[in-house]
Amino acid sequence: MTPRSQSPRTRADFHAAAGVLVVVREPPPPPPPARGQPPMVPGDPAEGVEILLAVWDDGSVTALHGHVDLGTGIRTALAQVAADELNVAFDAVTMVLGDTACAPNQGPTIASSSIQIHAVPLRLAAAQARAWLVERAAERLGVPRDDIHIDNGVVAVHGDPARRICYADLVAGEHVELRLDPDTRVKPPGRHRLVGQSIPRVDIPAKATGGDVYVHDVRLPGMLHGRVVRPPYVGLDAGEFVGNSLLAVDESSVAHLPGIVAVVVIRDFVGIVAEREEQAEAAMRELDVRWRPVPGIAGLDDLEHALSANPSTRRVLAERGDVDATIAGCARPMSRTYVWPYQLHASIGPSCAVADCRADRATVWTGSQSPHVLRADLALLLGWPNTAIEVIRLEAAGCYGRNCADDVAADALLMSRAVGRPVRAQLTRAQEHTWEPKGAAQLMQVSGGLDGEGRAVAYDFSSSYPSNAAPTLALLLTRTIEPRPIAFEMGDRTAVPPYAYPALRVAAQDMAPILRASWLRGVSALPNSFAHESYVDELATEAGADPVEFRLRLLDDERAIELVKATTERAGWRRHTAPQGQQSDGDLLKGQGFAYARYIHSRFPGFGAAWSAWVADVEVNRLTGEVHVRRVVVGHDAGSVINPAGLEHQVHGNVVQTTSRALKERVAIDARGAPEPREWGAYPILSFREVPVIEVLSMPRPNEAPLGAGESSSVPGTAAIANAIFDATGVRFRQPPFTPEVVRAALGVPPPPRPPVTDTPSRAQARAAIAPGRRRRWWGVAGAFAAGLVGMVAAVVGQRPALAPVGPSDPALFTVATLERGRQVAAAGDCVVCHTAPGGIPNAGGRAIETPFGTIVTTNLTPDAETGIGRWSYAAFERAMRHGVSRDGRHLYPAFPYTYFTKLVADDMLALYAYLMSQPAVSNRVVTTSLAFPFGLRAGMALWNALYLDPGPLAPDPARSAEWNRGAYLVEGAGHCGACHTPRNAMGAERRGDAYLAGAVVDGWEAPPLAGLSHAPVPWSVDELERYLRDGHTLHHGSVAGPMAPVVRELATLSAADVRAMAVYLASLAAPAPDEKAAARATVAASIATAATIRGPGQRLFEGACGACHHDGAGPVLLGRNLPLALHSSLHGARPDNLIRVILDGLGEPATRELGFMPAFRDAMNDRQIAELAAYMRERYAPAKAAWAGLDAEIARLRASGSH
Amino acid sequence: MIPSAQAGPESRPATDAEPDGSTPLRLQVNGRYREVVVAPATPLLTVLRNDLGLNGPKYGCGLGECGACTVLIDGIAARACVIPAGGVTGRSITTLEGLGSSDAPHPVQQAFIDAQAAQCGYCLNGMIMATVALLARCPRPTDTQARDALAHNLCRCGTHIEILRAVQRAAELTARATADAGRLTESPE
Repeated sequence: MTPRSQSPRTRADFHAAAGVLVVVREPPPPPPPARGQPPMVPGDPAEGVEILLAVWDDGSVTALHGHVDLGTGIRTALAQVAADELNVAFDAVTMVLGDTACAPNQGPTIASSSIQIHAVPLRLAAAQARAWLVERAAERLGVPRDDIHIDNGVVAVHGDPARRICYADLVAGEHVELRLDPDTRVKPPGRHRLVGQSIPRVDIPAKATGGDVYVHDVRLPGMLHGRVVRPPYVGLDAGEFVGNSLLAVDESSVAHLPGIVAVVVIRDFVGIVAEREEQAEAAMRELDVRWRPVPGIAGLDDLEHALSANPSTRRVLAERGDVDATIAGCARPMSRTYVWPYQLHASIGPSCAVADCRADRATVWTGSQSPHVLRADLALLLGWPNTAIEVIRLEAAGCYGRNCADDVAADALLMSRAVGRPVRAQLTRAQEHTWEPKGAAQLMQVSGGLDGEGRAVAYDFSSSYPSNAAPTLALLLTRTIEPRPIAFEMGDRTAVPPYAYPALRVAAQDMAPILRASWLRGVSALPNSFAHESYVDELATEAGADPVEFRLRLLDDERAIELVKATTERAGWRRHTAPQGQQSDGDLLKGQGFAYARYIHSRFPGFGAAWSAWVADVEVNRLTGEVHVRRVVVGHDAGSVINPAGLEHQVHGNVVQTTSRALKERVAIDARGAPEPREWGAYPILSFREVPVIEVLSMPRPNEAPLGAGESSSVPGTAAIANAIFDATGVRFRQPPFTPEVVRAALGVPPPPRPPVTDTPSRAQARAAIAPGRRRRWWGVAGAFAAGLVGMVAAVVGQRPALAPVGPSDPALFTVATLERGRQVAAAGDCVVCHTAPGGIPNAGGRAIETPFGTIVTTNLTPDAETGIGRWSYAAFERAMRHGVSRDGRHLYPAFPYTYFTKLVADDMLALYAYLMSQPAVSNRVVTTSLAFPFGLRAGMALWNALYLDPGPLAPDPARSAEWNRGAYLVEGAGHCGACHTPRNAMGAERRGDAYLAGAVVDGWEAPPLAGLSHAPVPWSVDELERYLRDGHTLHHGSVAGPMAPVVRELATLSAADVRAMAVYLASLAAPAPDEKAAARATVAASIATAATIRGPGQRLFEGACGACHHDGAGPVLLGRNLPLALHSSLHGARPDNLIRVILDGLGEPATRELGFMPAFRDAMNDRQIAELAAYMRERYAPAKAAWAGLDAEIARLRASGSH
Repeated sequence: MIPSAQAGPESRPATDAEPDGSTPLRLQVNGRYREVVVAPATPLLTVLRNDLGLNGPKYGCGLGECGACTVLIDGIAARACVIPAGGVTGRSITTLEGLGSSDAPHPVQQAFIDAQAAQCGYCLNGMIMATVALLARCPRPTDTQARDALAHNLCRCGTHIEILRAVQRAAELTARATADAGRLTESPE
């Protein structure tokens, strides 16, 4: 049975219930206005008193708290606090967190204050309830209060355990409401039973088994799915263009899509609501929205300058001594600048919300960290009172600050209001990445120095933090609020250093955001401490002192001193006064670094949370520049600890996340001035392989108050790592992230040697690689020539006669054997590949094929009388196949490969006719191909045929085996391999001689050179060719893609003997393969050796976006084939086309299922990124080949040519 | 409580191919055959979550990069966000729900609970499914093997240490469960 503690949903339910003891409090008075701080929304008097705790007559307890569990475990820890104070069993307590209809308003879940500050009222309420229950029990049992004790909600008389009464009975039939008494006495530390225990988290079993946990899991009857289209001013939220840039939305652009319910447009807010999620997603991509030109952000590649130039107001936080004079008098003055990059919250799940908006009430399910603040925003958005909106808080992917959770809740509400039904809004990965309020860049400038004795005497610090609370996006897009630049006063967190510098001045340069930005774990404290702890380390080096000893001289906080000593002792701190640069095996330099901080939260002077100290051990690869944090010993003093295992887990998480931010994370800005990363390859985070060994030292402080814990341990981390890198290399890094390219540049490492390029591009390849613009001109010249020629000839030759239409064929006339033979000829000839439109009915025609002469549309091959070939006689069919003339006498274009089909023997030709005529007739009138002059004059093809058509069957070669001859017949006849794989001349005819099978570009894909001209690193053998044609992939050559995939699907329906014969013939065209396996091994080994030397953005894109499926063996085994890319033809060719096409459009319909599927990166990466990725892949997998030239232009061209 | 409609509007009975291009697909999910009417290119993840009401696989990136959507297909880990539903008919699909329940968790689920290997838990599905797949081909993974197998499952909370402990615990519990099963089958009763 559901315990009563889980039944009430609103405050009124608590007030109306019988059999309950409730502890309430007056809503605290609105907080005093504080400039530039995270918003607090005052309690609404209409909602009455706030409920903190309820003890029910079934023994269950409801405990309420205004904060939410962001994955930090406060649901469990707060239940421990309440249960302990009440003396009930842990699992008697149900925690209600954040729901606006019943939880107290305690502001946003920020500043590590859920336990340290906001658990206090709950704890008092539990103590007060216990006191009331004890009083009542003593009365009932007729004994003085001192004579009883409580155990798990049962009150019993000392020495007479039979005389007992339980909490449930004490509240039965009652409705008691107690006003919170702030003077209630809570338990002394020694009496805790649950507090201090590592109680397992209550939320994990459901999370591990797929329970209903997350806001993403909400499913309502009649629920629709919403997507948003965001404006082009990506990641910007201030400026007149915000909410003012939409020109038009063309709804007809999605009219052809199924399931669209509404397109919701309110100024710059554009949402799409559909019956199904994938329908909304498709419409989001296809909706034609036109915007005014908008600005981007310029100059963010130089953050120091950008932040210096951003308008600011100086706010001096602390000043002692004569700073200027002291610095002027320093024996060794030292000025330093530290710069923090823009970073992402990078929640693993993009934000999601569900809204159900009715006429005058709305319910919103959200993963927000600030439900009460969100409710006020939503009320503002709709112009409704707060009380008309209920915000129900469910778990979401960890946010570590302000991500898009609030934004998407408002999006869902606008869409639900528009359609009058519940709507689930889900942001895409790219939207979350680009639009989330970033963790702000930050500029820290320090002046100071040492006196003659090497003592630190002055510290002049200023910090610039362009961040605010990031107003909920829909409010701005709809222009419900004005998009003004709002400066917050949040750069002051831990701005004052912990060291007793005799002369000190600390100032915050308060400034509005540049990019949309808001708090991320550590807020401004983490960058501020990076500066404090780097600078003091630099001073120590300057003074020739050990960095830890130097700090201890400047510390006067006893708890800090104890922590520093304990942590360094545990870590085995190696005392040193200069960089040690210990070299370990080979190219790895080892170093050790220290840093300490106490996180000071909230507006200056704020309040201190836990103390934290790090000793980091790093290894720096002096060739690649890669930094690995090997071990972190982190000391921690959080006062008394509610849940030690939970705290340790939080510290682990903060160490990992901080290491990730220090080594890897930076939001790059693209050419438009917008945040560039749209997926994880461009914003990598620490992976399992990179996670350090972490040792946590928790200072025993059972008698101290509990302090905000986990986040504190992130604060000193980056400086500890930078200090360790300095110890290893002697080079200071003052701007994270410490990526390999940054480290290499600072160390002055020359680029790694590359194997010599062995291929000198042939003339054909060189020609293939010339810029497309030039190629077009070349075709243009050819076209002009052809125009004159064809025009003249057309006038002379004229059209061929029409052949009379016939009645429908009767398939019963054909034998089963004939039909099967015809099917095989059709399969060998891949008729269906060209004669089927994308997504269309097989053989019904309509596929547009791009040729240098114009677009050719394939015809309907089904026996439909009006639109297909239903009225074609066999003679007409055969004439078309052998001579390229249509039934009506018009010439066909040689895009239809009749120059090959003419080789068919009569029996095959007849069988093919029989087979096609036996297929279902499909009425599908395709557009008639109409090429521009002169190619539009079809009669000119007569001359072409005279020049290039060699009609009639192929003569077998008696010197060759029957298998070879069969293969030749299939390849040179129905199979028409050369039609794609042979380059064509200016007249569109295949070139002969050496050019045969020399490779060509067809329909935007490269049909690579075959036979002796193949650029594959391993020569093709018969077996490999057979496997490739049959399975669509081989170990030594990779997999098929593009137009070859459907060819392989067709070949799969041929007999094994025929496929083998084709392989035998094709293999015979080249010299026999030497030791294939040895060649393959050598190629792979060369690639692996190269891979180890390349570290940089291209490598990271590959690792993040491709590495899960494509790796050299040490990685996950996922569905599909992980074929060695080092052997893949597409990496070794002269042209990057096929690789780029696959990156852009993925493999949604692989040749065979076992290949697996690949997603399209068209919308996730820009041209520059794909160029970087392709260049990396070329360098890594084909190290002996020349780099591809002009990648950016090639990618732009292929992207514009659309997906195929 | 999370509202959860048992039969939403998307759980339509299977009919013939519909004019909007959706077709009936028969999927074998967690040991049961389920028929859905969707466009074959619809991501398997969408079908599992929206048509079959499963919570385990999560949307994380839509590009197969992060692993939050991991399911098993014929016992092999697969990223449901990049697999068209029409591409896996006739294959056996297992989601987190198909392993065990909160009352009777699978040994790997139990190991993750024992190791408390979740903060927000959004990546947990992928971690558990990847571990099940790993143990099937490598019953006693070393720390390096575990890190390699999970290298492309992203976790932002930094639960890696606990997850690696859970993998080792999962190996123990799985070995124990296998041994118990062996004893049961050997037992005359």
